[in-house]
Amino acid sequence: MTPAVVCEDLWKSYHLHRPVGLKALVVGAAKTRETRFARQWALSGVNLRVSKGQAFGVLGHNGSGKTTLLSVLLGTVPADRGRIELQGRVASLLELGAGFHGDLTGEENIFLYASILGMSLRKIREQLPAIVEFSELDNAVESPLRVYSAGMMARLGFSIIAHCAADILLIDEVLAVGDARFQEKCRDYLRSFKQRNGTLIIVSHSMRELASLCDEGACLELGKIVDSGPVESVIAGYTGRAAAVGAARPPVQP
Amino acid sequence: MVAPGAEERPYGWWKLSLATHWTHTLELLYLLVRKDLKVRYKNRFLGYLWALANPLAFAFVYWIAFKFIMRVEMENYSLYLICGIFPWVWMSTGIANGTRSFLVNASLIKKASLPRAVLPLSSVIQESVHFLFALPVIIAFAVFAGDLPVRAGWLWQIPMLVGLQIAFVFPIALALAVTNVYVRDIEYLVGIGFSLLFFATPMVYPVSMVPEEYRRLFELNPLHALMQSWRSAVLQGSVEPAYLAQVAGFAVVAGLIAWALYRRLSPRIGELL
Repeated sequence: MTPAVVCEDLWKSYHLHRPVGLKALVVGAAKTRETRFARQWALSGVNLRVSKGQAFGVLGHNGSGKTTLLSVLLGTVPADRGRIELQGRVASLLELGAGFHGDLTGEENIFLYASILGMSLRKIREQLPAIVEFSELDNAVESPLRVYSAGMMARLGFSIIAHCAADILLIDEVLAVGDARFQEKCRDYLRSFKQRNGTLIIVSHSMRELASLCDEGACLELGKIVDSGPVESVIAGYTGRAAAVGAARPPVQP
Repeated sequence: MVAPGAEERPYGWWKLSLATHWTHTLELLYLLVRKDLKVRYKNRFLGYLWALANPLAFAFVYWIAFKFIMRVEMENYSLYLICGIFPWVWMSTGIANGTRSFLVNASLIKKASLPRAVLPLSSVIQESVHFLFALPVIIAFAVFAGDLPVRAGWLWQIPMLVGLQIAFVFPIALALAVTNVYVRDIEYLVGIGFSLLFFATPMVYPVSMVPEEYRRLFELNPLHALMQSWRSAVLQGSVEPAYLAQVAGFAVVAGLIAWALYRRLSPRIGELL
């Protein structure tokens, strides 16, 4: 099987460069302690291989490097070291509402967001009815986005990304907002996307969602891949370790 | 843990971007500018008149202060003010908005891969559109207030000056935008800088009033060359080629510096916002 996404020995540190005010330039930035949420290496030596037509799930605790991994794959954040190979066009749904503007109508936002995802104006005009149809928002696309609920925004965002003709989709925990029926619709779409040889990388905390969509997966811990393989075994390993950690921590006193 | 060499950068974010084709970049630019204009004028009763209010109020205040109270002796002084202040406000707000453009669009930078330079460019183009809206006002002033003979001949110079000013302003906005992500104080310095530059550039006084020994210094200022070109285009119907060359030369140098800064600094801005 041809790989769509290959990462080799990916390293990423956020501490090499940080924003400085004039004060920090003069006084010097304070040294930080290494902890789970503030450690030097956000990703250390990550290897990944996802074949075409596969869905790959990424698991891990908060702060384990999942979003960093997706950002590096998307290219919004550069890796410090390592090699990335992507076969085809990448599109992402990393954050609900990024690229949306509250004062614009749903339709105007479709144009803007689709263009940000790399679609040409001609293509957007062509796909517009299909996008609105998929979102089921009907004439609500004529209302400004600030009156939308989070669920409606999720519908709009997902509908756009579903029509942007990417080969690789990166999705970060954004499906949870829509109602059950729309979530099912999204899952159906993603399955058909896979069948058309599209590649998916999904970050989620919903084990059920990962189990139902993904073929393979990996678990990140402190920026390292601690487990990878068939998604069921990765989920089992992750929940097992999470239970062990939970037992080790003293319960919170009321 | 052994720290791996941080210098190795095996790939650039721009290679991963979907938006590598320049026609797509233009379309994105068009949509971004349209978005900003729509957002700005939605629910505003007076709409685009607000684009005129700021420079007009400026010009009026300086006219009162310098013509009426300090009694500057100068032909067509009100027109002199207006022809300079409109392009000045265009330039300074374009650069100020451009400087903030990466911070304002932080979510886009972090969560979507797009050619990032398009954001400060859209700030600059948006202000250019405002300026174009205001152009009829300047022309009306030239026709009615200053008793200049109407010359269709100078109209062709306007698109040239607009193009030149965009080429002049965009590199400055790009360089400031990308450095502002690293050192956030820059956007405040820009504001102060423009207040100082406004009076250091012959805007409310003609360069001929500057004492002889300093005049050379004032004429080195590329902003003076740009603003003087605007004024002479409207007031005299001609532009000095030497001034145009000075502006173009500055634009080229600023462009090279801005491009180098952008290449060097922009890959990291996603994680700094």
